[in-house]
Amino acid sequence: MKKILGVLLALSLASAVFAAETVRIGLMAPLTGPWASEGQEMKQIVELLADQLNAKGGTQFEIVAEDDAGDPRTASLAAQRLSTKNVVAVVGTYGSSITEASQSIYDESEIIQIATGSTAVRLTEKGLNFFFRTCPRDDEQGRVAAKTIMSNGWKKVAILHDNTSYAKGLAEEAEGLLKKEGVEVVFFDALTPGERDYAAIITKMKSAGPDGVFFTGYYPEAGLILRQKMDMGWSVPFLGGDATNNPDLVKIAGEKAADGYMLLSPPVPQDLTTEAATSFINAYKAKYNAEPGSIWAVLAGDAFLVAAAGVDGSGSTDTTKVADYLKSGMKDFPALTGSINFDKKGDRIGDLYKVYKVDGAGKFIMQ
Amino acid sequence: MEEFVQQLTNGLAVGSIYALIALGYTMVYGVLKLINFAHGDLFTLGAYLGLTLLTSFSLQDKMGPLAAVGLLAIMVMGLVALIGALLDRVAYKPLRESPRLSAVVSALGASIFLQNTVMLIYGARFRVYPQDILPRTVIDFFGMPIPLMRILILLVSLAMMVALYTFIQKTRIGTAIRAAAIDQGAARLMGINVDRVILIVFMVGPALGGAAGLMVGLYYGQINFTMGWVYGLKAFTAAILGGIGNIPGAMLGGLLLGVMEALGAAYISIAWKDAIAFLVLILILIVRPKGILGERVAEKI
Repeated sequence: MKKILGVLLALSLASAVFAAETVRIGLMAPLTGPWASEGQEMKQIVELLADQLNAKGGTQFEIVAEDDAGDPRTASLAAQRLSTKNVVAVVGTYGSSITEASQSIYDESEIIQIATGSTAVRLTEKGLNFFFRTCPRDDEQGRVAAKTIMSNGWKKVAILHDNTSYAKGLAEEAEGLLKKEGVEVVFFDALTPGERDYAAIITKMKSAGPDGVFFTGYYPEAGLILRQKMDMGWSVPFLGGDATNNPDLVKIAGEKAADGYMLLSPPVPQDLTTEAATSFINAYKAKYNAEPGSIWAVLAGDAFLVAAAGVDGSGSTDTTKVADYLKSGMKDFPALTGSINFDKKGDRIGDLYKVYKVDGAGKFIMQ
Repeated sequence: MEEFVQQLTNGLAVGSIYALIALGYTMVYGVLKLINFAHGDLFTLGAYLGLTLLTSFSLQDKMGPLAAVGLLAIMVMGLVALIGALLDRVAYKPLRESPRLSAVVSALGASIFLQNTVMLIYGARFRVYPQDILPRTVIDFFGMPIPLMRILILLVSLAMMVALYTFIQKTRIGTAIRAAAIDQGAARLMGINVDRVILIVFMVGPALGGAAGLMVGLYYGQINFTMGWVYGLKAFTAAILGGIGNIPGAMLGGLLLGVMEALGAAYISIAWKDAIAFLVLILILIVRPKGILGERVAEKI
């Protein structure tokens, strides 16, 4: 009897010690619904990274996953559940409007939230102290576009959008930056998506005589324009936004017309070159027998790593201290998608967008 | 000047496709006073059937591009004509004696049905025609590069329109169609089989629409199940512009709409080109409520 009591006592002591050292990190992800493939991969990656960290010893982390179903209402319920589960930080989520529905719940509970795929600018413009994100903002793409255009030496640029709020915003962002830098915007207009014939637009752009064209719309129109531009014997270089990152672009345009087309996009996981990324991708392959498909899910892994680094670096589970550390203490944290620094708003500093170029065989090659 | 000529050819190529589709709207309206809202989807069907036939028989390998495209056009036009006849039997004939609104609702239903059928069979993603069928030659027109295919599209469309016009004006069936358009009751009394006339109208119009779909597929390469909506809307507008019910009017309206769009895009603003084209439509309808060539009802078709 005494022995058993002793064992029980030892066990309960051990678990008490264990509990003190285990830090709970929430994961809010679309495990079901239209973005379920993203959410499933987010969960796989975060759990893999947590296992790796735990195996190293040190602070032990426990992942508490909740499904937001890619739906704002489900997300607010998930946020309420997570905020009662004693989590220090929550990783997630994917869609901007879904994240937005949960932001104030975490903020009131003083839980750190690190969004992973939510790129809408307004999310970090609300002055929320506990909100961070590992993904870029929508306006970053405009900056990278302007940089790419200038490094290509284009002095005169044509900018074409399709009047969707995303494409128009990106076009205006790039236009403003280019004008500041003294690049002449000789053409700025919008096409109507869903049509087939863009010859009138191409003819008009051609007569403006640009050194290059920046198209901020989507891949079906980009493919048609590339093809019709070739038919008309015009060989101006094209740069597209991340909405043209789709293999169907090459199918629509044809390999010959798509050859040399440049586009901006966050890197696909296979193009990540950091040491952390390659060893992670190998571990992922070993465990799940597949390659990670989505960069946004890899950014969820980064969010988890940053949250863990925040707890370790500040030596505390007091979220105010962790948030302070992430904003001012943490410098160049080596994450999967490169080094991470946060500014005062909780936005990631530095460019994630890369330039891709379509080669003669229709493959997207990172530059 | 150079840009003007180029935009003119751009507009004529687009406009000739509008005109081909507009003929289907205008013929049906001429005889039945019905707007066949499913006509745009028959156009889509033409594009998809063309893709299926082309890839499943690999025609261009067997007989060379020119013969392949010719045979393809005949097959697509025949099939879409059959579907058009079937559409009339299923969706419109039972409602012949009903109020006109019922037929319009039935037309909208048929449009939704066809569009979703195409989506379920072929999927919602963009489909792409093989790239290497047509020559991508650019001809030099007084120093202006103009793709040969644009000129061919215009010529083929014009040829079909002339053929249709001759058919309506010179043949017995054409005369019967014109008679039925003027007064169905009187035509019946004269011994004209009006049901047969309607059937022919529902075959010829869709055949032209299907041919337009095939041309769009062959030239632009990219097709999807909603493409009939934009083209249908524009072609319907063209038919109204030219005077609905009037065959030369549909041709003129289509070409005019295409050219207005291209020139509006060129000289005013691309984003506003549809607004400009429709503004011109409104102005023309204010001056001539029956459209440019729209005349007394007795002259229709």
